[in-house]
Amino acid sequence: MDHRPQAWGRPRDDVYGAYDASYLQTNGPKTATQSPIVTGTSVIAIKFKDGVVMAADNLASYGSLARFTDVKRLRPFLSTSIVGFGGDVSDMQFLDRHLNELAIDEAYEHESTATTDTDSPSKTGQLNAANLHKYLSKLMYRRRSDFDPLWNQVLVAGFDAHAKPFLASVDLRGTTFTSPSLATGFGAMLAQPIMRRFAATEEDAAALTREQAVDVVKECMKVLFYRDARSLDRYSIAVVTKDGVELSEDEQLEKQSWAFAERIRGYGTQVV
Amino acid sequence: MTSIGTGYDLANSIFSPDGRNFQVEYAVKAVENGGTSIGIRCKDGVVLAVEKLVTSKLLKPSANKRIATVDRHLGVVYSGMIPDGRHFIDRARDEARAWRDTFKTPISTADLASRMGGYMQAYTLYQSVRPFGITAIVGGFDSTAEATVDGEVGAGPSCGAGGKVAGKTHGGPFLYMIEPSGLYWGYYGAATGKGRQAAKAELEKLDLGGPAGGPALTLEEAVKEAARIIYVAHDDDKEFELEMTWISGLDGPTKGLHQEVPKALREEAERLAKKAQEGKMEE
Amino acid sequence: MFRNNYDNDSVTFSPQGRIFQVEYAAEAVKQGSVVVGIASKTHAVLVAIKRNAEELSSYQKKLFPIDEHVGIAIAGLTSDARVLSNFMKQQCLGHRLTYGRNMPVRTLVDMIGSKAQINTQHYGKRPYGVGLLVAGVDEQGPHLFEFQPSGMTEEMVAFAIGARSQMARTYLEKNIDKFADCGREELVRHGLRALKESLVQDRELTVDNTSVGVAGAVKVDDGSTKVEPFQVYDQQDVAAWIESVADDKEGGAGAGEGEGEGEGEGMEVDS
Repeated sequence: MDHRPQAWGRPRDDVYGAYDASYLQTNGPKTATQSPIVTGTSVIAIKFKDGVVMAADNLASYGSLARFTDVKRLRPFLSTSIVGFGGDVSDMQFLDRHLNELAIDEAYEHESTATTDTDSPSKTGQLNAANLHKYLSKLMYRRRSDFDPLWNQVLVAGFDAHAKPFLASVDLRGTTFTSPSLATGFGAMLAQPIMRRFAATEEDAAALTREQAVDVVKECMKVLFYRDARSLDRYSIAVVTKDGVELSEDEQLEKQSWAFAERIRGYGTQVV
Repeated sequence: MTSIGTGYDLANSIFSPDGRNFQVEYAVKAVENGGTSIGIRCKDGVVLAVEKLVTSKLLKPSANKRIATVDRHLGVVYSGMIPDGRHFIDRARDEARAWRDTFKTPISTADLASRMGGYMQAYTLYQSVRPFGITAIVGGFDSTAEATVDGEVGAGPSCGAGGKVAGKTHGGPFLYMIEPSGLYWGYYGAATGKGRQAAKAELEKLDLGGPAGGPALTLEEAVKEAARIIYVAHDDDKEFELEMTWISGLDGPTKGLHQEVPKALREEAERLAKKAQEGKMEE
Repeated sequence: MFRNNYDNDSVTFSPQGRIFQVEYAAEAVKQGSVVVGIASKTHAVLVAIKRNAEELSSYQKKLFPIDEHVGIAIAGLTSDARVLSNFMKQQCLGHRLTYGRNMPVRTLVDMIGSKAQINTQHYGKRPYGVGLLVAGVDEQGPHLFEFQPSGMTEEMVAFAIGARSQMARTYLEKNIDKFADCGREELVRHGLRALKESLVQDRELTVDNTSVGVAGAVKVDDGSTKVEPFQVYDQQDVAAWIESVADDKEGGAGAGEGEGEGEGEGMEVDS
């Protein structure tokens, strides 16, 4: 071992050659995030008559490497809303910390506004999912305008001011979108058509039961695992209703059937 | 107050020839006119209570809270000038947030007391400001659970956050009181405001464990004692409202959060407090 | 005259722990004409007496809308009130932009409270010379707050500030139990009756000197609240209200003085 501390932890010059310092550009334009690094794939969600179901798998990929297999990408907010993150995982962690601080501030506000002398503080007056989505959209748009985007597409689910189920998305450009069902990433291509079969319109969604919605979402997660090479068969699923958020973070895809794979050319190990 | 008129008490941060800062002493006077605040630290949590003097019949009952939450696990109550107390709380919340931003973990009660002690002290240093007209009581429950790794969205390393010493525990209930000078100490029972003398006398009678350990009041008993002490310290002619909050550990009633004492328990505590008062009258 | 050494600035405590500059600022509030506010379960109202500098001049403004759901009544230095009013407007707008909702009234009031407190602790600043009544509605329903130059802010059921406001407060204290279940019109009338208590002899409420502001929050079936935006009424819009309290016995110098028993409840004129 080279005894000189300067050499510790660096590639040996005698083996790899001297470090090419020309890679360390000291001038040129300021660059911010140009691409995501560790990423999460699809998040999918669908409204039903009493709330919203959301799911995302537990994988964080490093390029095509399945790097972390227990990453929870659904985060509850104030136990009344749920936020699902697709895209860069470190940016998700940043947003998660930020939303935690927002929740603390919101609690301060609610504490001083509480006038009802009841045992359980009422939820009225707290930020609902619509407020949260508005806030996140402003945050994402601000960051993209600073040329320093948070590389995520985010789904927000919960309830709006009229106590109606709410589901909306915002992406790294600050683009917002809402629909009875939503999906990010590959899910937008693979899961969205399936979900639309059950909830093409708000009326359709309002007719869905919780069980139906959960089944649709689970079916979509299965299709995504079949066809998305950056996905995993362990996933998280959340159901938001008026009673709060029920989040289960360690679900296993069940009843998988890979028989179809043999009939598809180019899928898996087939080369012909 | 023999030095009034000698000129050494006309501006902050001025020492008198005998080494006193009169403006700080006058700030203490503002505290001594305020409604009584107390804090009790027991084995399984902290209770904060304040006597809110009703200055007008037109005030909305129980709407104007005087005990504030800082982060999720800390509570602050104060006696003295209420707008100064609001300022103190705003700053405490800023400190707690800055601590989270820097260290990715909630601030401990001791660290918050230290930061706020420093902040109060800074307002005794310059002629351009005046000291805070409050004495604040800061209570908190530092989590005894394993701290999560920052931004932990997965299970994290199975070995935990590292740096662990086997058998070593950390966290628990803490209580501090900060005076206008910036001086602060840790307490088992703290009292300030108009009725502090009577309240201190009562606090000293309680079995709060103390440095020697041993049996001590439970959190629920402490709530009842706190209510009783506020009633004892209260000057009878004036109307007042009792406001109480508590903080327990994760396994206790508030699950590590600073919360208002539930209505049912508070009313029970008030009923007992009134009964104890009446018992005393008859003696 | 005895010279008080401790009243030159707001950074000096007196030996009793008082800050005279702040107390003097509170006196400025008493120089302003009286304003009254009341909150019920569904509405928050503000009523005010406007002064005119001279016979031929216009009347001052006492009520200011802040946002859709909040308005203020001022007593004291109008220019200080404008500073606070502009600040409040900006905060409400910012909150609406970022969260898409009405700013909670308590949050708004706490903000001006903190702002005012700073002025009482730093040399070279002075306390605001104005008191406010802030009336508004949010998801919790209607609210009424009082703001003082010291930075003290408190939620009230009803309150009055300004010149001779003690008489109005006495009226409000006497009737405090009635307010919670009052309808919109009756609440305004209570406000006007309180106002009349504070009038000097041989002055009365007229369409020129009276302002009324109302905000409401009515619960709708789906659990949400329908907001009646804060609106200020002047001139002919307040005529019916003034008329409806004209015969009350409790008016200082109302038209019905001497007639005795014109109890308000029986004399309602619905608008």
